[in-house]
Amino acid sequence: MNYPLFLPLVYFLPQAGHPPNWHRSAAATEKLNVVAFSLDVFETHFIYFFARLRSGDRMKKIGVFICHCGINIANTVDVEKVTREIAEYPGVAHAENYTYMCSDPGQALIAKAIKEKELDAVVVAACSPTLHELTFRKVSRATGLNPYQCEIANIREQCSWVHPEKHVATSKALRIIKTVVEKARYNESLDPISVSLTKKALVIGGGIAGIQASLDIANSGYEVVLVERTPSIGGHMAQLSETFPTLDCSQCILTPRMVEVAQHPKITLHTYSEIEDISGYAGNFKIKIKKKPRYVDEDKCTSCGDCMIACPVRNEPHVQPQPKYSSQIEKKELGKLDAIISKYSASPPRKEMLIQILQDVNSEYNYLPEHTLKYVSEKLEIPLTQVYHVATFYTAFSLKPRGRHLIKVCMGTACHTRGALRVLEELERRLEIKAGETTRDLEFTLETVNCLGCCALGPVVVVGNDYHAAMLPGQVDSLLEAYRSKEN
Amino acid sequence: MKRLKKPEDLENLRGKLISKRDPSRPCIILSSGTCGLANRSDEVASAFQEAIPKKGLNGGPDLRITGCLGFCEREPIVIIHPRRIFYPSVKPDDVSEIINETVLKDKVIDRLLYIDPVTGEKFLYEHEIPFYKKQQPLIFGHNSEVDPRSIDDYIRIGGYSALSKTLSSIDSEEVIEIVKRSGLRGRGGGGFPTGVKWESCCRAEGEPKYVMCNADEGDPGAYMDRSVLEGNPHSVLEGMIVGAYAIGAHEGYMYVREEYPLACEHFSIALEQAREYGFLGRNILGSGFDFDVKVNRGGGAFVCGESTALMASIEGRVGEPRAKHVHTVEKGLWDKPSNLNNVETWANVPLIINKGWRWYSQIGTERSKGTKIFSLVGKVINTGLIEVPMGITLREVIYDIGGGIKGGKGFKAVQTGGPSGGVIPENLLDLPVDFDRLTEVGSMMGSGGMIVMDEDNCMIDIAKYFVNFLKDESCGKCTPCRQGLIQMYEILTDITEGRGKEGDIELLEELAWVMSNSSLCALGTSAANPVLTTLKYFRNEYEVHINEKRCPARVCKALVTYTIDEENCNGCTLCLKRCPTDAITGEPKQVHKIDGEKCIKCGICYDTCKFEAVIVE
Repeated sequence: MNYPLFLPLVYFLPQAGHPPNWHRSAAATEKLNVVAFSLDVFETHFIYFFARLRSGDRMKKIGVFICHCGINIANTVDVEKVTREIAEYPGVAHAENYTYMCSDPGQALIAKAIKEKELDAVVVAACSPTLHELTFRKVSRATGLNPYQCEIANIREQCSWVHPEKHVATSKALRIIKTVVEKARYNESLDPISVSLTKKALVIGGGIAGIQASLDIANSGYEVVLVERTPSIGGHMAQLSETFPTLDCSQCILTPRMVEVAQHPKITLHTYSEIEDISGYAGNFKIKIKKKPRYVDEDKCTSCGDCMIACPVRNEPHVQPQPKYSSQIEKKELGKLDAIISKYSASPPRKEMLIQILQDVNSEYNYLPEHTLKYVSEKLEIPLTQVYHVATFYTAFSLKPRGRHLIKVCMGTACHTRGALRVLEELERRLEIKAGETTRDLEFTLETVNCLGCCALGPVVVVGNDYHAAMLPGQVDSLLEAYRSKEN
Repeated sequence: MKRLKKPEDLENLRGKLISKRDPSRPCIILSSGTCGLANRSDEVASAFQEAIPKKGLNGGPDLRITGCLGFCEREPIVIIHPRRIFYPSVKPDDVSEIINETVLKDKVIDRLLYIDPVTGEKFLYEHEIPFYKKQQPLIFGHNSEVDPRSIDDYIRIGGYSALSKTLSSIDSEEVIEIVKRSGLRGRGGGGFPTGVKWESCCRAEGEPKYVMCNADEGDPGAYMDRSVLEGNPHSVLEGMIVGAYAIGAHEGYMYVREEYPLACEHFSIALEQAREYGFLGRNILGSGFDFDVKVNRGGGAFVCGESTALMASIEGRVGEPRAKHVHTVEKGLWDKPSNLNNVETWANVPLIINKGWRWYSQIGTERSKGTKIFSLVGKVINTGLIEVPMGITLREVIYDIGGGIKGGKGFKAVQTGGPSGGVIPENLLDLPVDFDRLTEVGSMMGSGGMIVMDEDNCMIDIAKYFVNFLKDESCGKCTPCRQGLIQMYEILTDITEGRGKEGDIELLEELAWVMSNSSLCALGTSAANPVLTTLKYFRNEYEVHINEKRCPARVCKALVTYTIDEENCNGCTLCLKRCPTDAITGEPKQVHKIDGEKCIKCGICYDTCKFEAVIVE
């Protein structure tokens, strides 16, 4: 082959999607396969050329061992085809497949091939390296081959187990193996070295996680350095009242650990400190810690707190400013609400007028829409949660739109003894809603009231402002009809 | 209206008003409180207002639209002054006849007269009617004399004379002494000696001081405060001004529950008028005393009748009570000394000032002085508001005034004191009604609600009703009340639905003990009373429900069946048509049948049947 000729051609070939998407339809894949295959041909020679360039004349002899893994790989990957094809690949001096490469006979095959063919590197195409990399590296070592010359190509978890179509799986398996062969080609033999290890741990962060980690390590016998940015360890857990779900007192279960950290002979605690630099490597880190100036002699300080009390400059708690809701509400609404609010509260805002204002809003809108609550919260400078607390506590308020006609059934004792419950049930039946709900067409809202003060006339039903005395379940139907046909 | 600058101005005005009105001039008194309105009294009023000028009667009778007159089931009531002819249950169509016959010709319309349901006797005049005969309406009686929207009416009958007398001739300490000696006790249910409360507030440290009126009246079945406030708001206001003077407060609050819009309206009008005349504001009647009142509407929470919750509500907060280690007279509204009294309590004050404490202390019993307004409702024949001297027996109230049980059924129990009270059975009916005697038997007088029950009322159902009420109204702050009521409700529901079991009663008693000993406020501590009293006097009924799965009163739906009596049914098909679940089948003129599976026990067929053919057992 005239390699120099092929080289430029390779450069001008369009990239056919790198890597090819094997998950597309079969037809497309077909096409891609063809393209990929064509690429493969060029690639092979391209690679071979470079390989030769690098290693000179002497090519590394690589053995490829393809495992069937029973049917796990063999059912989806055409292992015979792959063996044949990979055998043609530059540098592959030996290619064979076997049912269970990890088994004794399988391992023996590898050992035999290494010895007989004087292999320089080995690629085992099988399951994930997490499973048998160690197995095959031991085999290699036993034959005198450096174990790091043994590589695993995962054609199970990353191929046969995820691609049901045979031709797709097979091409991909081949591609994977080729990739690993390339890696194997450049692998260098490695010999483990021994490095002295500093048996000390740095824990960054003195919250409960850091505290517990420090204690666990220290109690196992190792030195610990705990670094915490804030002036005290404890973190958020120290600020909580209870833990979930046990409802333990948060501080009661935290502080014993905090004290243990402070008193532990193997823990060095640096509070009000930050990490400035980390260098080195696992087992030999070099850390630079910045201790921020406290202006307090830590050896002499007893934490009595007298200085805090004496200090004239106090830290005010940071209170979030109230959000401005009015920007989200349209001007017309604002005008309406301002008219109501100004009746009761001008400037400075009179917070005690909240209930009176909400009552007027409730009458105006027939319920309390969300935007009105937000605006009242803003104008009266009361937190929105408190406004909601009041709005949900008093039964006069409704957070949901109410019907055109508000039906209240008195559930006072006198009315109850006279059968108010049956009237209520009949209303619920006729309107097909339960007490507290509104009909779909927003015509009627049904509510119960605890005593309207018309006890002699029970059972009493009020619709809007009309009082209806001595109601019987049988009269419910005509009552509803009368209101349905009423104009507003 | 000209501002009255000194007591003499008031006397002059009163003189003028009295002389302007000829006492023998005919006047049509029409009751139109909320009860009246529920029975179309507004239409009756319009009919009168149209008819009077029409009949060329412009110089003729006055029309006085008043508040409640007590006989609530018979409202609207028309009383023709000066003869005081009494027409109950007047309809708009009766108006022209009343004018033509009674007003113009002084003729009595027989068919409109009150007929006693027990004796069948007809009565002409109010004071002869058994319902009114045994009453002593010292407070309530004025309702027929005043149009609540007219301060002049109130002044004419002597209103604000107590205030005038107080401001001009009695020291504030002396006022407190008078109230103490009168023996007036709080009418809202607590029964605390009013004079002592005023004294504590007066002596407490802190400015400004507040006086407040509790018109939250949440007890279901009680509505006397509403009627007093609707019918004679000035009487309450006058009491408040006197109290404020005695205590040294200059700001007052009227807390009216949201469900009483008419009372709120009438009181607000009264405030406006009082301000115009100078009974409120600066330098009242030239005494140098300043005072004014604001109105706060409630938000629909029963618990806001409790003093600390009420004050929290005025402060714009949620109505959650606080523990009362420190009483509100020392730290109340905005942590300042606050004196809260009930509507009826305030209304008694002008009376005591005018007539003197000696006179007042002669009414009632040794430790419960004066009269009390009760709401007598339920299964009695004559339902309504009554004002009687303390010490009258339950039997007199229920039988002499109330006329006995409706429909000739048997008396079972009377529930007094609202959800904090309890039931009293037949054998205790001779107990005198006052603050202490009823408490001895496990109930209490409370705010004055008296609900009479007959053999058709199930005691467990009543207990369940009250527990349900309190469970909904509990503010939720303390665990014993919040959780205890839920658990009690579940047990009682199980019993009424046939799932009662051995040990339920003991469990209820245990829960009651815990709740009464550890709840934060009186709602919780008294919540168990209805259960405990029904257990005490009707334990047998509980046992029948639990062991026999039967409801003797035929109320508990799950334990009751509806059937048609073959002998009485004549196949009129009325019940069939009305049944909401089509559970009744039958051909016309043939005996009908109720399908037990479809029957939801709504009771419509029972109400509809004119032949008493529906049996409930």
